[in-house]
Amino acid sequence: MQRFFGRRLLVLSGAVAVVAASALALFGLGARGALPRTGTLVVRAGLLQTPGRFVRGEALYDGRGGQAALGGAVSGALMGPLSPVAVGSPDGRYVAYNTWRELRPIDNELSFAKQGISTGDALGTPSLRVHDEAGHDFLLQRGAYSLAWRGDGALAYVQGLEADFRANEPYAGQLVVRPGLHGRAAAWTTESGRYVVYAWAGSHLLFYRLGEGETLQLLVADGPGRIRALCDGSAIALSPDGTRVAVLGSDAQNIRILDVASGRELAWLDLATATPQLAWLGYSGSWSGDQIVAAASAGLAVFHVGPGSLGLEQVLALDPAQFPAGVQEPHFADQSGNQIVASADVPPQGSTPGSSFLLACDRIARTCERGEPAPAREWLRLVDNPSRPAGGGRR
Amino acid sequence: MNPRKLVGTLVVAAALALPASGSAYYTYFIFTRQSNLASPLTMTWEQIPGHYSTASWRAGSGVSTDACWIGHGWLPTGWYDLHGHWDYYDSAAIKGRVFQLQDKECWNGTWRTQLFVHTEETASEGQYCPTPSNSPFCWEGDSDYYSAGSIKLSRAGNPSDIGLAHSGWHGKSGDYRHGYFTIAGWLYVQ
Repeated sequence: MQRFFGRRLLVLSGAVAVVAASALALFGLGARGALPRTGTLVVRAGLLQTPGRFVRGEALYDGRGGQAALGGAVSGALMGPLSPVAVGSPDGRYVAYNTWRELRPIDNELSFAKQGISTGDALGTPSLRVHDEAGHDFLLQRGAYSLAWRGDGALAYVQGLEADFRANEPYAGQLVVRPGLHGRAAAWTTESGRYVVYAWAGSHLLFYRLGEGETLQLLVADGPGRIRALCDGSAIALSPDGTRVAVLGSDAQNIRILDVASGRELAWLDLATATPQLAWLGYSGSWSGDQIVAAASAGLAVFHVGPGSLGLEQVLALDPAQFPAGVQEPHFADQSGNQIVASADVPPQGSTPGSSFLLACDRIARTCERGEPAPAREWLRLVDNPSRPAGGGRR
Repeated sequence: MNPRKLVGTLVVAAALALPASGSAYYTYFIFTRQSNLASPLTMTWEQIPGHYSTASWRAGSGVSTDACWIGHGWLPTGWYDLHGHWDYYDSAAIKGRVFQLQDKECWNGTWRTQLFVHTEETASEGQYCPTPSNSPFCWEGDSDYYSAGSIKLSRAGNPSDIGLAHSGWHGKSGDYRHGYFTIAGWLYVQ
């Protein structure tokens, strides 16, 4: 009997070891040897050092207490989180940022007509500016927004057909590319449209076309005039080598991995079949190693990408009373993929205006540190560069 | 002009100014955000000065509750002008009976644009359901209330909610215009 149990124990131990090894191979261990588990994030105030640079209002912060004045206030007025408001150059020496000059005050409680605004009236002007590490700040392009910075220094952005955004008129523009900060811009699109640049994937440029009803179509520009549709929906993140992109369906309920060069589908996951279930995912996340992090209805979702497979690894829930609008633009902040940084916007409540926070979270410990609140209109956001492969510079 | 002729002229003019139903009431809509899939869209008309009547339908907007996410969040709060109305609209993404809204800035300064009240139907107000899966011009069920931002009404049933809202708007407001035109404060989102 003892021998029988001993043999069974041996077999059982072996099975447990195989399962454990499989789990490790599939999901990997956290930096401290712990498996990431689904659960609620405990958020505490007291974020003193932000991993990486960030912008807010008319200032650029280094995350360690230092700051520099910008030549204009950052704003993503024409793109929201579709594209970063501030993009670091691959060599880390520059930050390109989006600004917005309001041409007349708007009362968002009132309709246009009640404020004497007619269709076609100019409301604001987007511009791209650049700040360098020596503190110089200059206008890159007026009437332009959403910028992607390639590893070799090439820049892509949307250049408006005219500089001003006008009431009830789509902001039509062309996608332009220039070889560097001082090169000449060349149009890559042949038709004007309401575009938003997302990121470079090697030599391919990913960008959006916004249609009526704000439908999003993700397009690829392989060169001047060489435009193709990749999918209806939006991009969550590019793989570290820039060959694959995780995309979100227009219903925000399915995620696919596509080969950028061919558009071929490599993996697919329907959130309705995932455990735990998620009502929706958000675009503009991050991909590190074989893990993807995205904003989600619960808070954050982390996916594991395998060869031809995609699995939901972890869901990190945020208190909806504290963060009713969840988080935006989450990024992995360390090589092990355990640290996640994100911005969180809190909508206005009564007479309290909307505000923004930076969150730095440990997904193994399931804790976050929250930075100081900033008015939502100051666009507190991390400096990012979603283009891949990364240019080897600082963020 | 003698008084009898004047009265007759005025009666004819008034009859021409009024719709066939004889009503021309101050009419507007209220969208009360409760969830992306189920939020009431209420048509309100002032039948007697100071007295309002209402009709409500289930509607949806966005896939998330962050009004500052382009192509993702529900509509920002505040008053919207009507920017245009069509019965047989035919764009790539939106077709059939549509009401176009003004652009709106959300609370962090992001502009939401190209917004509509619409459903999932063809340009001829029919249904095109080529596959069992979700088709953009076919109302399959509750998940169709999701949108990239616009307000969506159901196309199911006869009359459908989009049909009731559409005929209700014309009948109560007495406004039968189509194409681009502006009606100030047509929709309030709360």
